[in-house]
Amino acid sequence: MNGSAFRSAWRPLKSSTFRTPTALQHPAQPHPRTTPASACTSPFSSTAHLQKRKKGANTTDPRITAIRYHLNHPLTPRPLHFSRTRYLRHWTIHRAWQLFQRKQREAHERHLEAQYNSMRDACEHLRLLDENGLRASEAEAGGRGADAGTLGTRGKEVGRLYRGAMNKRGVWGSVPIEYARGQVDFPGREGWNHGWTR
Amino acid sequence: MASVKPSLRQFSACIGCVRRPSNGLKSLDGGSARFLSTTAPAHEELQTETATPVPQPPLPSVPTEAKASTKPEWMQQWGELDPNRVEDKRAERRLIRREGIQPVGSRRRRAAIHRSTMRNVPQVPFEQLPYQCFQEARKFLLDDRQEKLKQIQTQTLRLRNLMAQDPAVSGGPEAKNARVHSMRNHINELVILADINDPVVKKNFEDGLADMNKPIYRHLAQKKWEKHKKLVLDQRLTQMNVVPDILPALDSKLDIDLAFGRKKVEPGEFVESAISEKMPRLRVQSFESGEKLVSVVVVDPDVPVPEKDGFKYRCHFLASNIPISPTKTSIPLIQIEQQDRKVKDPSEKKIALPWYTPWAHRGAPYHRLAVFVLEQADSKPLDVAHIAKTKRNDFILRSFVDKHKLTPLGATLFRTKWDESMAGVMQRAGLGHQVDVEFKRKRIEPLPYKRRTERMR
Repeated sequence: MNGSAFRSAWRPLKSSTFRTPTALQHPAQPHPRTTPASACTSPFSSTAHLQKRKKGANTTDPRITAIRYHLNHPLTPRPLHFSRTRYLRHWTIHRAWQLFQRKQREAHERHLEAQYNSMRDACEHLRLLDENGLRASEAEAGGRGADAGTLGTRGKEVGRLYRGAMNKRGVWGSVPIEYARGQVDFPGREGWNHGWTR
Repeated sequence: MASVKPSLRQFSACIGCVRRPSNGLKSLDGGSARFLSTTAPAHEELQTETATPVPQPPLPSVPTEAKASTKPEWMQQWGELDPNRVEDKRAERRLIRREGIQPVGSRRRRAAIHRSTMRNVPQVPFEQLPYQCFQEARKFLLDDRQEKLKQIQTQTLRLRNLMAQDPAVSGGPEAKNARVHSMRNHINELVILADINDPVVKKNFEDGLADMNKPIYRHLAQKKWEKHKKLVLDQRLTQMNVVPDILPALDSKLDIDLAFGRKKVEPGEFVESAISEKMPRLRVQSFESGEKLVSVVVVDPDVPVPEKDGFKYRCHFLASNIPISPTKTSIPLIQIEQQDRKVKDPSEKKIALPWYTPWAHRGAPYHRLAVFVLEQADSKPLDVAHIAKTKRNDFILRSFVDKHKLTPLGATLFRTKWDESMAGVMQRAGLGHQVDVEFKRKRIEPLPYKRRTERMR
């Protein structure tokens, strides 16, 4: 578990260590040695800046505080415990959310199914439509089975619109639409369903 | 129409939300009468027609004065003991002893209730707690419940129409029966689904306030049982070969707890012979509605036969016509025996073969004592006077089950072997001549090349 969120924002006090190069880059600044010796914070002192300024008697070193903090706080946060009623409330909300999602999913599925059915019905209607806009019989119309291009007894008269609608050329660039399916390393167990009928 | 009744009954019990009066389950055994099947508190007797059952927090119930007055003086000095508020172990024990009821829920919960009543904290009912998300969730779940109730109504109507239909129209009696069966299953499922998301139902169940007359609580209890206890039980039954040894197969449908006096026995545990000298107490929780008549059989399949170098069966106990139901869970065999003594007519009795103390020879392998609960066909009482003629020795449960058309509902077992108290137990059971019999393992001569020879020494 990532315990970084539980670490303190403690950083080592770098200000004193980096003072020297900054001073070197800007020679225009007043040199630290010009200040009186008593108030001078030596650049070679290892004492922390804040520690040096004595505010009160009981100031603890922030480094010690940080070490203590990390010794006492493990990386793993304590487990989440709910009270009885809190757990029950949580459970109620969880159940309601699950139920809500389930209903949404089912509604979506129903919607897709209805869309598919209506598209299929429309295609079926086009398949049986003849030149005069009348309904032809099953034998007269072609286009049964997997190949939409087969003709019935009345030839091209019946289902002209259907054959046009089933023509998938140019839908996906110049590549046949069948290639739009996900390309996989190996073909499916059943490569082509030869027995398929509507 | 008769066969539609069970599901309709569940339905009415669920929708009407009217608790039926519990049939005196306290009468048999005061101590364990209040478990899952406890009677509802008085304020929950009548439930309103709102979507959820009345969700009041358990109120402190004052023990009746009349009952307390019958108790001895030293018991009355214990003061008022409230099953909702007893906190420490001693008070709990006293409550069970004096009032004969179990404390409600966990000790932690009772302590919390106790504290809040001491401090006069106003009690907000759980489902009225003012948390917005919680209230929204509840609203959603209640809408869903209303939907389910409407579905139940239409399905019940459809089922009723189907029942009234001529079988010729619905495609023959078999097709009709199949449809009726599946529709009834569907309704039962809906009845469960209507209540399964109710936090108050869950809370009541966890508090042990479940009313086992209602299908939802039975469902929850069954799920809980199947999750752990049943797995353990099935494992023990198969590991110790009770199932193929005594009966060919067993699909446990009952939650059976075995106890000798106060001592509960885990399935397969070794029980000291002095403890198992007295009859056990059975707590049988069935998850199907309706009352059944059951027979209880205790069989020992490990009686050694030295001549044959094998084992045979012995029946240690046989009782019939014991009523059980989801709310009537206790089978106190000792009390049944006491009632039997008062009855003169032998066919009215329930115990066909009285308890025969489990015993084992010194040095013999352990004995399994399997307790079977068998359902009697159509809840018809068996003729106990006739059953009493069965022989204890060489009792074959398979043929007994076939002969009397019994269905095994569940089983549990304990084990016994020679221990310190066994000699006394056998003396008291009139087996004094068997006390000194000791079984010894046959010495198997080592193979010639493994024999330690002089040369090796």
